[in-house]
Amino acid sequence: MIKVDKVSKYFQKRDGTDFAALSNVEFPIRDGEFLSILGPSGCGKTTLLKIIEGLVKPSEGAILINDQPVKGPGPDRAMVFQTFVLLPWADVIGNIAFGLELRGVGRKAAREVASTQLEKVGLTGFEHHYPHELSGGMQQRVGLARALAVNPEILLMDEPFGALDAQTRQLMQEDLLNIWQEEQKTVVFVTHSMDEAVYLSDRVVIMDTHPGRVEEIVDVPMPRPRDPDVRRTPEFSELTSHMWDKLRDILKRDQATAAAEAAKKGA
Amino acid sequence: MMSLAVGFALWEAAGQLEVSRALPPFTAVVEAIFDVWGREQFQDAMLSSLKSVAIGFPLAVAGGLILGLLMGRFRVIEWMFEIYVNVFLSMPLVALVPVIVLIFGIDRSSIIAVILIYTFFVVVVNTFTAVRAVDPTLVEMGRAFGANEFQRLTRIVLPAALPLTLVGIRIAAGRAIKGVIIAEQIIGLVGLGGLVQRYGGAFLVEDLYAVILFIGLVGMLSMESVRVGEARLLPWLKAQELSAT
Repeated sequence: MIKVDKVSKYFQKRDGTDFAALSNVEFPIRDGEFLSILGPSGCGKTTLLKIIEGLVKPSEGAILINDQPVKGPGPDRAMVFQTFVLLPWADVIGNIAFGLELRGVGRKAAREVASTQLEKVGLTGFEHHYPHELSGGMQQRVGLARALAVNPEILLMDEPFGALDAQTRQLMQEDLLNIWQEEQKTVVFVTHSMDEAVYLSDRVVIMDTHPGRVEEIVDVPMPRPRDPDVRRTPEFSELTSHMWDKLRDILKRDQATAAAEAAKKGA
Repeated sequence: MMSLAVGFALWEAAGQLEVSRALPPFTAVVEAIFDVWGREQFQDAMLSSLKSVAIGFPLAVAGGLILGLLMGRFRVIEWMFEIYVNVFLSMPLVALVPVIVLIFGIDRSSIIAVILIYTFFVVVVNTFTAVRAVDPTLVEMGRAFGANEFQRLTRIVLPAALPLTLVGIRIAAGRAIKGVIIAEQIIGLVGLGGLVQRYGGAFLVEDLYAVILFIGLVGMLSMESVRVGEARLLPWLKAQELSAT
């Protein structure tokens, strides 16, 4: 089990004062669950994901995985990035095998694993294509395959479909759920789309902004496997509406605080 | 090709019209090429210049790659060397040649030293820029997948920096030719530059042009061969540029 244990993160602003990106964020993540972190831009959700991944150290608090604090990136976690971040000089198979090869897996064995993952994400036939020859959706499939190839327990996804068009995005969501259904991994998924969060998740952590805090954790009790048509049910609408209400309040509060601070500075 | 043909035609016309005593007709120069390029004097000079470049250029590239990489990776080293690199890049190096000749004497070591100052700093600045320009999210991705410092350098930074670094080497190839000829001209006795001085001084105009054309050809070929190397090593880059249109 993973615990986000009272995590705070401060950055220094240009004028020397501290800026709190995250403040006392605390929530558990159950094994095998699909958890989304939903919040407006700037609420620190990407920072939180990087702290879980181990790329960023928290200023206070820790991430506990089975009661052990996270000290850095590890073999139990793998990340999928919003901008794909593929190696432009390597072909699809080379990219998928990258994480394995870094771990010392021999080239032949790594390519075999990569082949399997390539099929799983539906890229058969594209083994020797280069990233620039692929569409955004296909590039992200490579990113997903690369993360799955190292067989992590936890998949960390940072707005992975944010750079894709709406149709591709929906298809990718459905494909992701199919893969997740088979793989049984824990997924922490950052998004700013309520529809996406509700469709994909078991639970949604709604985050407040400036600083980033947990506003509410919402259960999504809809049955699995999730039919794509679940998006049209009244239950779905209720959940997304509730989330939108929360987000709108968060945004309005944030605007008011920003206006007040600007007025103070002006006066 | 077309452009060259037109150029040669104009040259021929200007020569026949005797626009200047220093501008012989193109056909006269072509005759001289067959004469001069076969001479032992020319071939000895060519080999001499080639030898200097063969020593100086690889040395400069190797040194430039190392310093460029170190400067790109370590801020301290950047701060230490930045000013010298900028000075040598912005000043007219030809002014330093007499100083170099005074220090190293009238022999090949001067010529090699000149080649070095012409090429070294160009490689440094291009390599340094290339390393600095590497997308930090690529390196971050490497960290996320557990790459250690050495792996990040060799499997991400180096390949990512290769395109710009090769551009630096391509430019340096052209400058190496420039350096060797300038040094030889100032020293006067050896190599192709020496021939330029000799034929120019004796007003053997057609022979002079024959040598100059050869130098131009070599300069072009050396840069082209680096460009071919670029295409071989970076197949993904050309295609990427094409698909971006």
